[in-house]
Amino acid sequence: MASRPTVTILGADGKATGATEVLPKVFSAPIRPDIVKHVHTGMAKNKRQPYSVSEKAGHQTSAESWGTGRAVARIPRVSGGGTHRAGQAAFGNMCRSGRMFAPTKIWRKWHVKINQGQKRFATASALAASAVTPLLMARGHQVSTVPEVPLVIDSAAFGGATKTAGALGLLTAVGAGADVEKAKASKKLRAGKGKMRGRRHRQRRGPLVVYSTEADGKDLIQGFRNIPGVETCPVDALNLLQLAPGGHLGRFIVWTSSAIKELDSVYDSKKGFFLPSAVVAQADLTRLINSSEIQSVLRAPKGEAKTKRGNVQKKNPLRNKQIMLRQNPYAATYAKENLGSVKANNGKPTPLPAGFTELLNEV
Amino acid sequence: MSTSNVSADLVWEITRKQNAFLVQRKTAGGTQFSRDPYNLVNLQSRKYAGFVNDKAIGIAPGEKGGVTVVSKKAGSANKPASGLISTNYSGNKSARKTYKAVANATAKNGYRADLRQVAVARVSAIRKSQRPVKASPERKLRGNAAKKAAESS
Repeated sequence: MASRPTVTILGADGKATGATEVLPKVFSAPIRPDIVKHVHTGMAKNKRQPYSVSEKAGHQTSAESWGTGRAVARIPRVSGGGTHRAGQAAFGNMCRSGRMFAPTKIWRKWHVKINQGQKRFATASALAASAVTPLLMARGHQVSTVPEVPLVIDSAAFGGATKTAGALGLLTAVGAGADVEKAKASKKLRAGKGKMRGRRHRQRRGPLVVYSTEADGKDLIQGFRNIPGVETCPVDALNLLQLAPGGHLGRFIVWTSSAIKELDSVYDSKKGFFLPSAVVAQADLTRLINSSEIQSVLRAPKGEAKTKRGNVQKKNPLRNKQIMLRQNPYAATYAKENLGSVKANNGKPTPLPAGFTELLNEV
Repeated sequence: MSTSNVSADLVWEITRKQNAFLVQRKTAGGTQFSRDPYNLVNLQSRKYAGFVNDKAIGIAPGEKGGVTVVSKKAGSANKPASGLISTNYSGNKSARKTYKAVANATAKNGYRADLRQVAVARVSAIRKSQRPVKASPERKLRGNAAKKAAESS
């Protein structure tokens, strides 16, 4: 790459300010959905609260087996009399009011350790994917009104974004309004028990606003926090769960200009970490195949431009003259001279010459 | 694609299993369709996946019986708002002229010659759907008993 690509910085009205910024190096990191998926799966598990059934559940009875000889199963049975419960089977996971099979324990392995290098790789990969329009569209973001991806807005434009109205106005002005609307309209009641467990609604994610804590301050968080689907994140604490929700690459990110300026230094400051580089310099297969380097070493294609088709309909040579000629070139002469209607010998045999019989029979 | 680490081939490999446009059903042998507006046949495939390809064409019904053809500008993939060219073909134009125009827009200048046929087919289907529906003829009465019953009533 001779010259690094640049990105336009937009103003509060969505028009280019004229200033540009060189795209940070992290945007040329390889896009690896497998690593992102794997890291996301682990990270998503790290916020879980332990749960389990009660240790005592299903065991709060003094049931004992009746042993053999009473023509009932040997499962423990509730002792005593005077109530329906007496004599019923207890304890087993197959029993009514028995304990569950393999009761859940709070010491289940809830959390997953992920190597720091992998986490950083995944984050870099997710950032690179956030600059690819088709991946944003494949994630379902409404980006058809966005002037440029990655979308970078002048930090000065975030002055009015400390209030929700200002923040929403800014997002709409820069073409991110459609995505916010989509997230807002997507709010649905969750199916199942999650409703009563603090997960009442489910909704799509909208744009993620990435800011620089030092340059932009934290006031804009309050402006954006009540807009449905919109999240904010400081550039020095990027989170894969926000960059690739569900493990799917291509979150729509709105950058402040100071955040994108800071991004290179964020990665420079990570000790012992080097941004992953792509294995292939050119990912476009068609361009690779059609390149002169490849084409010059390829053999010429074998055969004609038009190859004979193997499996074609059989033609009848008796009806199709061309097919007949291909099989029997003599057919042309045969037809021309009308040999088919010429009699082999003209009727009767020729009479013997005069005097032949006498000569033959002469003694 | 803005950077050389990304290509349509890579995007397709990333998104072919899961994307927002993909519609999968277990019936009918696990059919896969696409809701992509730039997909001319609504099938999930590399060739027709419009959001993946640098050059793609979308055809939708337009106003007053016409069609709207949207094509992507090659090389401006990272400028979604300005990277599209939209053309309207009026419904007053004859269908054949519209086919010709769409075929030229699709296949000429090295755009997507491989999509010419499906583009014309889509225009044809849209034009057909916009025609007024003919009323079906009234049912004929069958048999003398039915005719008599109709007369007497």
